[in-house]
Amino acid sequence: MTTSLSLQRLSWDQRRKLTGVLFVLPTVLFVVVFFIIPLLMTFGMSFYDWPLFGDHTFVGLQNYTDLAKDRQFLKSIDFTARYTLMITPPIFVLGFILASLVRHNIPGISIFRTIFFMPVVIGLGVSSLLWVWLLNDQVGIINKIMLDLGIVEKAQLFMARPDSAMAVIIISVIWKTVGFTMILLLAGLQAIPDELYESADVDGAGYFQKLRFITLPLMRRTIALALILSVIGSVLSFDQFYIMTGGGPRNSTISVVYWIFNNSFTYFKMGYGAAMSIVLLVVLVLLSAVQFYLLRDNT
Amino acid sequence: MNIRRLSTAALLLGLLIMSLAPLSAQDEPVTMTMWVRSINFSVQTLVDEWNATHDNQIELTEVPAAEFVTKMGAAVAAGEAPDIASIDLIYTPAFASAGQLVDLTEYVNALPYADDLSPAHMTLGEYEGRNYAVPFAAEGSFLIYNVDLFEQAGLDPENPPTTWDEVLEAARAITALGDDTYGYYFAGNCAGCNAFTFLPFIWASGGDVLSEDFSQPTLEEDPAVSEALALYRTMWEEGLIPEGAIVDGGENFTNAFASGTIGMAGTGAFGIDNYKTNYPDLNFDVTYIPGKDGGTASFGGGDNIGIPTGSEYVEEAWEFIEWTLSEDVQLELYAGNNQLPVRLSLADNEYFEEDPRLSLAASTLSVGHTPYSLVYNDLFNDANGPWLLMLQVAIFDGDIDGAIAEAQQRFSEIMGG
Amino acid sequence: MTTNIQPNTNVVFSATDQSQQQARRRRNRLFLAMRYAVLIVLALLFLFPIVWSFLNSIKPPAEALAVPPTYLPTTIVLDNYMELTTFGRIGVVQHVGNSAFVALLTVVGTIVLSTLGGYGFARFEFRGKNIMFIMVLSTLMIPFQSILIPLFVMLSKVNLHNSLFGLALVYITFQLPFGIFLMRNSFLAVPKEIEESALLDGCTSLSVLYRMMLRLVLPGIVTVAIYAFINSWNEFLAALIFMTDQNNFTLPIFLTNVRSGLYGIIDWGALQAGVIVSIIPSLVIFLLLQRYYMNGLMGGAVKS
Repeated sequence: MTTSLSLQRLSWDQRRKLTGVLFVLPTVLFVVVFFIIPLLMTFGMSFYDWPLFGDHTFVGLQNYTDLAKDRQFLKSIDFTARYTLMITPPIFVLGFILASLVRHNIPGISIFRTIFFMPVVIGLGVSSLLWVWLLNDQVGIINKIMLDLGIVEKAQLFMARPDSAMAVIIISVIWKTVGFTMILLLAGLQAIPDELYESADVDGAGYFQKLRFITLPLMRRTIALALILSVIGSVLSFDQFYIMTGGGPRNSTISVVYWIFNNSFTYFKMGYGAAMSIVLLVVLVLLSAVQFYLLRDNT
Repeated sequence: MNIRRLSTAALLLGLLIMSLAPLSAQDEPVTMTMWVRSINFSVQTLVDEWNATHDNQIELTEVPAAEFVTKMGAAVAAGEAPDIASIDLIYTPAFASAGQLVDLTEYVNALPYADDLSPAHMTLGEYEGRNYAVPFAAEGSFLIYNVDLFEQAGLDPENPPTTWDEVLEAARAITALGDDTYGYYFAGNCAGCNAFTFLPFIWASGGDVLSEDFSQPTLEEDPAVSEALALYRTMWEEGLIPEGAIVDGGENFTNAFASGTIGMAGTGAFGIDNYKTNYPDLNFDVTYIPGKDGGTASFGGGDNIGIPTGSEYVEEAWEFIEWTLSEDVQLELYAGNNQLPVRLSLADNEYFEEDPRLSLAASTLSVGHTPYSLVYNDLFNDANGPWLLMLQVAIFDGDIDGAIAEAQQRFSEIMGG
Repeated sequence: MTTNIQPNTNVVFSATDQSQQQARRRRNRLFLAMRYAVLIVLALLFLFPIVWSFLNSIKPPAEALAVPPTYLPTTIVLDNYMELTTFGRIGVVQHVGNSAFVALLTVVGTIVLSTLGGYGFARFEFRGKNIMFIMVLSTLMIPFQSILIPLFVMLSKVNLHNSLFGLALVYITFQLPFGIFLMRNSFLAVPKEIEESALLDGCTSLSVLYRMMLRLVLPGIVTVAIYAFINSWNEFLAALIFMTDQNNFTLPIFLTNVRSGLYGIIDWGALQAGVIVSIIPSLVIFLLLQRYYMNGLMGGAVKS
């Protein structure tokens, strides 16, 4: 009796185990084939001279030592870092202002939330194509408006100078992504109990005091999340430069991903591209580590 | 018109009969795949004609020019390369050196008119003394100019500029007309366009950007390079070129000249075809790209055709290639469709007699140069490459010496591996 | 001391209570009006690019090319959309079809895999479960941009590089961590008792999942589907690299071709028509299913 019962239970357990494995197996297979193996391959390829045609040859650390001498790669790192530093604060501040504006449930507020968020669901590639037209010197509506308002005397060639190209790209990307930051921060804001502000009001605290002593400390994790996601997005940016400037003017807007793309799929130095990918990957993992550190639970 | 149609019909009939001959030698008809980069020349018409008159059929795939090399590489890796490939001629050395093309030397040597084929194409089709490709589509660069603006500015449209000084004078005179007219135009953000239209200024003056054996860049040594850059710089500084040129990646090129406010610009036969078809009111003529004190040169562009390694139908594919080179096809299907024949002796033909502009375009092939390099794309065609950067820094920023020095170094680095 | 002051302030408060309240109410109303004013201005700024893109797309083609541009269309026509249907020989319809095919395949694949996987991770115990779960989630930390090169090499070898199916496989992989995470949480939120009785009755796990659980985790599935759709519909870089045949271009890649111009002219009207065509599906799905989308955002936020 007892043995047959335990056998039965054991086999039921085993069956459960097997069923569980079968349920997750497709997912695991996908991740192994399309993620883990390519990840290991990236690492492996980075030690090879790997052209599009013909054989690949082992070159040891050559690709990595070449990286240090590649002026455009260093320029791209510098550009990507500057871009990230320049776009993160405005996205955050504007996101915060928008979140504060749509925080209270006054009539019609959900319409405003939706409008501010709408550009987020548009692809960055497509939104870049949209802004290419808006910003065009000949047919673009922005130049037309500025001319009619007398802000400028003649149509501006925004993409002709590095600083103006950077500025207009930043504006377009803010438009496209700020709604995302807004929603994250809104969730954080709404999680703060109203009583805290009410008692602060009683103590006669002003807006900035409340901001400093209540809002910001309680939103530490949300803010960290919003900042990190925005930084990661900027570090990986490609579409907007590929479409809006083509890396110009004078190669001043070639981001790191853009340079990897060029080396791998235009010059077909795929081993070299893999080495750069590894560098990018390390940076991203470090950023993720920072994220985990900032988001850790204090309690 | 009727006579031409009749002669075409006769030709087709002839081809049909001819095509029956090789049939007996073959077991059964085969279907070959062919890739062509999207160019402004209806290869489809050509292939349709072949398919209608031959048993061996061809399946044509048009590959976007920017994707061609990627697609080819991926296809080779998968063992799915086509039987026939029409390749931007500048890539032929790279494909040949990587062992991706079948050696066609024996076939080429058997052609009675081998010496008559566009020399630039043939040079690019060679690798280590063997032939891997022959010309398929030809484009030579030349200057196009607006006859009406020339007349208004008091210039003689019958005697277009033959030296750089004359180019500059004409550009100044046309810009002086006011009303947003400009003497000259070039797409200032387009690498390939300026290899096509700016390099000839250097060549025509006896200079070059690569050494004769194509092993070293000669940007710094050769004074013609900095002088040609100085010519463009002067035109830019004096406002003879519209400001929008600085951001034109080639996408606004036709539009600019078609607007009728541009005096001169570099272009190719595709331009003639396009303006004739889409802007019938535009009164334009063409001339050679001049050297500093005379002389002419042209960029020999277009496509080479070859047989990728691994094709099972080398013999059959060559039959098609030879057919495209035949005099009848070159005249009826090329010249008859405003397309330049790839055989020099056919530049003067009954079709081009009606439009001397096309004759001139065809004759540029005899002064055609093309840089031979396994890394041509990285040097000249890449939007982020050293060639375009040099032009932009020199012409728009005015730092000619700095631009050349930087380019010389980058060229050396890229060519060195 | 403090205890002495306390009552005093209270007294002061109540003495001026009424006038203060009135002032505050007036101030609040002013604030509210200002808030709306700012909101409306901002909303107009945010809407402006999309609205003008749309207006440009319904201009006659010649007007869409006019320099300087007109603010509003003089006549409303759909010519730009018609032009787009024949653009570049293949036309927009095929590219919309390509994008839709990839997006739908991604949606179906992601739903099936994440539902099965999410259920497996939520309800079953087996050796290596935690390692596998961490492995799947770790995908989130590694940017897909850094493994595109080997993916290209791999897909080339099996002749899937230039195929919409191959592209969808890649997209599914990168939707999986989010999908697994969300579906696992959805299943965890369902009380265990519901399925236990059914299991004891001898139903197989798959039929329990299909008959009982699916209904309960439907909101999660909808969320996963929306994200899979919008992300794959919008994706640019991988499609740019993998698709080498014009016939296989997805909508965003096709549109960059329109932007590069044909024979030296950009058809701006057609470009804007294309922008609108590619915006509409994402926008409609978002507007209709906003609640699920936001749930996903919050769910995703928690995991990060």
